[in-house]
Amino acid sequence: MSTTTADTAPRTPQSPRVLGTRGLTTVQRHPLTIVLALMVLVFQLSTGSFLDAANLRGIATDAATTAIVAVPLALLVISGYLDLSVGSTLALGGLAAGWLAGTQGQSPAVAVLGGLAVGAAVGAVNGILCCYLGLSAFIVTLGMLTAVRGLAQQLFPLPLSDFGTGFAWLGGARIAGVAAPVVIAALVVVTGAMFLALTPGGRHVFAIGVNREAAYLSGINTRRIPFLLFVITGAAAALTGAIRASVLDSAVSGTSGAGFELTVLTAVLLGGVALSGGSGSVFGVLLGVLFLGALQNGLTLLGVPTFWQLMAQGVALVAGAALAYFGPRRTR
Amino acid sequence: MTVANLRIRGLSKSFGGAKALDNVDLTVPAGQVHALLGHNGAGKSTLIKCLGGAFAPDAGMIEVGGTSYARLNPRESIAAGVAIIFQTLSVVDSLTVAENIFLGQERIRYGAVNRRAQETLAAGLLERVAAGCAPRDRVGGLPMGQRQLVEIAKALSRNASVLVLDEPTAALSGAESDALAARVEDLRTQGLAIVYVTHLLSEVERLADAVTVLRDGRVDYHSTASGHSRRQLVTTIMGRASGSPPPRPGRAGATERGHGPSDDSAGPQSRPEASGGSGALDARSGPRNSEVTPPAGSSAPGRPAVPSRSVPDGPSSVPHRDPASVVDDKAPDPAAATAGHPGLTVEGLAGAGFGPVGFDVAEGEIVGMYGLIGSGRTRILETLFGRRHKSAGSVRLGGRAVAPARPAEALAAGIALVPADRRAQGLFATLTAQDNVLLPGLRSLARGVLRSVRAERRTFDAVAAAVSLRPARPKLPAAAYSGGNQQKLVLGRWVNERSRTNVLLLDEPTQGVDVGARQEIYRVVAGLAAEKRTAVLFASSDPEEVVALAHRCLIVARGRVIGELAGAQLTEEALLSAVHDTPAEGAA
Repeated sequence: MSTTTADTAPRTPQSPRVLGTRGLTTVQRHPLTIVLALMVLVFQLSTGSFLDAANLRGIATDAATTAIVAVPLALLVISGYLDLSVGSTLALGGLAAGWLAGTQGQSPAVAVLGGLAVGAAVGAVNGILCCYLGLSAFIVTLGMLTAVRGLAQQLFPLPLSDFGTGFAWLGGARIAGVAAPVVIAALVVVTGAMFLALTPGGRHVFAIGVNREAAYLSGINTRRIPFLLFVITGAAAALTGAIRASVLDSAVSGTSGAGFELTVLTAVLLGGVALSGGSGSVFGVLLGVLFLGALQNGLTLLGVPTFWQLMAQGVALVAGAALAYFGPRRTR
Repeated sequence: MTVANLRIRGLSKSFGGAKALDNVDLTVPAGQVHALLGHNGAGKSTLIKCLGGAFAPDAGMIEVGGTSYARLNPRESIAAGVAIIFQTLSVVDSLTVAENIFLGQERIRYGAVNRRAQETLAAGLLERVAAGCAPRDRVGGLPMGQRQLVEIAKALSRNASVLVLDEPTAALSGAESDALAARVEDLRTQGLAIVYVTHLLSEVERLADAVTVLRDGRVDYHSTASGHSRRQLVTTIMGRASGSPPPRPGRAGATERGHGPSDDSAGPQSRPEASGGSGALDARSGPRNSEVTPPAGSSAPGRPAVPSRSVPDGPSSVPHRDPASVVDDKAPDPAAATAGHPGLTVEGLAGAGFGPVGFDVAEGEIVGMYGLIGSGRTRILETLFGRRHKSAGSVRLGGRAVAPARPAEALAAGIALVPADRRAQGLFATLTAQDNVLLPGLRSLARGVLRSVRAERRTFDAVAAAVSLRPARPKLPAAAYSGGNQQKLVLGRWVNERSRTNVLLLDEPTQGVDVGARQEIYRVVAGLAAEKRTAVLFASSDPEEVVALAHRCLIVARGRVIGELAGAQLTEEALLSAVHDTPAEGAA
């Protein structure tokens, strides 16, 4: 108790002076860190094996595929848009990559690049409709979610498998002891965080999300930036699809990535990205991704049935939103 | 007829530090039309919103039909009998006239809406306002004037006793305006207390039984004298300004004046100094036309210091500036202006809703565009900035043709715009002050692909000092600043060393800006013109602002330039007359 007062006392005179977010510590800005830490503690105490290296690797690999899409999606949401089609894009991209590697016998690199191109194309369609024609991102990408799933089923009516050992490298290889998907995800997270915080383009993303008209009148390219984010998000979804196809050595047009869009969006929103655009951080999104991964893994270890896990995810999202709304940061 | 249907006493309301309403009194007896005048940001809309229950006043009381309220919520306001017809009407286009009138108070029979009863009642109400439309007409298909009458009919259906009309003729045609005036006269004889907000003196002359002019949240002028002739009103309202000349930010001493307001937060005592930059602001409390009743608020602290400032020449000397000094500070550098190297040249420019217009703005010159809202000033500015497409004409900058298709192209050519609607078009409210100032120029400050923290901070500090931003804190969100300092953030974007601004366009540069910040903004703009030879073109509906800031002023009406005032002719009275004496027909 005495340490707490000693800790807060010197900060108090400063805090009224600093009304901005600067005065907030990382923990204050991301209450999810505490929740995540507590949750890890509880899971470790109740299962005894949660923090085992093997289990953590499992969580990391699971979280990696979410993170690869969550980061570009977060940037898209910060810029005031939304992409609900990533689940279907994941399926189509994974199938395309698998088909190139297996049925067509292409090299793994060509297969992955082919899958990425398919995903980028889906993203470009979203981007043109939303950014250049000004249609609602919610409606466009909701439509694309269904349409792309239909396209995948039309093109690949049968499940694909046997993609070859080269292709299996993508999901199974270890780079310095770390699984390849985790390395890819780490690259995506670092690149995204650096772009958002350290480049002019990152500031432009915020500006467009806060006030698109003011950004336009300030000479910022308010179409190309979100358009590119749509393309990147699509490509990222396809990459995740290829990774999953590689791990499983199979892809099914009807079920691959079904519901993935909602998981990713949940992670993004849990991470403190405002659905209305203009605020959020890659660090927060990473926390959101890890939280969802840890929650699912821990509950599975505890033998909690799936429907309880889904309920926990949903409750966490709503509770997170409530926390953000009623929490201490509410300045207006 | 002597029953006061609306009495407002000592109403005050502040936003942050700025007083939007300061001890305002207003009495409107039943059967009277009370005209409420004032420039943008004078407090008219705040007053109306307190009446309608959108804002809770800090102090004072509102009495409607004998019942006093310290504050109203929207429902209480309606129940008390107040009806407000806003400029942006609140009718639902997809519903019928009758449905709109009874929206929220539907006549129910057998658990369903009784259409027939509503339509019968609506027909009666529509007749009362001579709306000329049927209860079953869709509101979306009606012209503006009729929609407005539908809303008035709705107010009558709620037994409103106080009717507030907020610039009702702003969106109406001449014929519609006449029809509305006739309706207002009818309603007056039916015993309603009517508050009529307007910019148009012709309407005051025709309709008003009493006049109140608000300025900077205070009652600046009040008169219950009947039979206001327009001429009389102009001189009466302007009479207060016949003292010392308004500030000339362009001339020496502007800097010293500009620093005056920097301690305006110190307390009421500093207020005279704060507005000391503006002779016109103070002079209104000076010698007045005898007809003027001093407002109750004039005894407020801060005013007593004013009489000592009173100026030798009396209220009668209306063309009040010394011609010699006028020449000196009006034409900043006549040689440069006539040297055949004009900054901005506009010829035959036309677009949706305006034109053709032609004018030029020399390097270092500040040109105003004075006109009422909807006269096309904003469209002209937005077209120059590439926000709107032109249909004809040419724009040249330094002799070279520029035709920006997008704002980004205009900025690349050195043309910048400070838009009128700060919140919707200018500010990034949740981003930091530094981001707000630097966003357009971040790329030029970056080293390679990465932002340079040091260069950004240095540039921000320089801009903050140049525009007297307070507080000058880079990480503070823009939303935390006062209106005036928010405007400095938006303006600061183009004061930035990195943004080569050859032409600065400003739309209502001090709308919603407090007095102190207003002077600082004038100083910054004048400094840009004087030191960086920026050509400045600004639009304003505030004659005082035009006189304070402009070297030369274009009179804009109905999308055209109908006149020009410069030198000794550029007075507030001349501006008011120029617009008000040339109604619908326009072209003079």
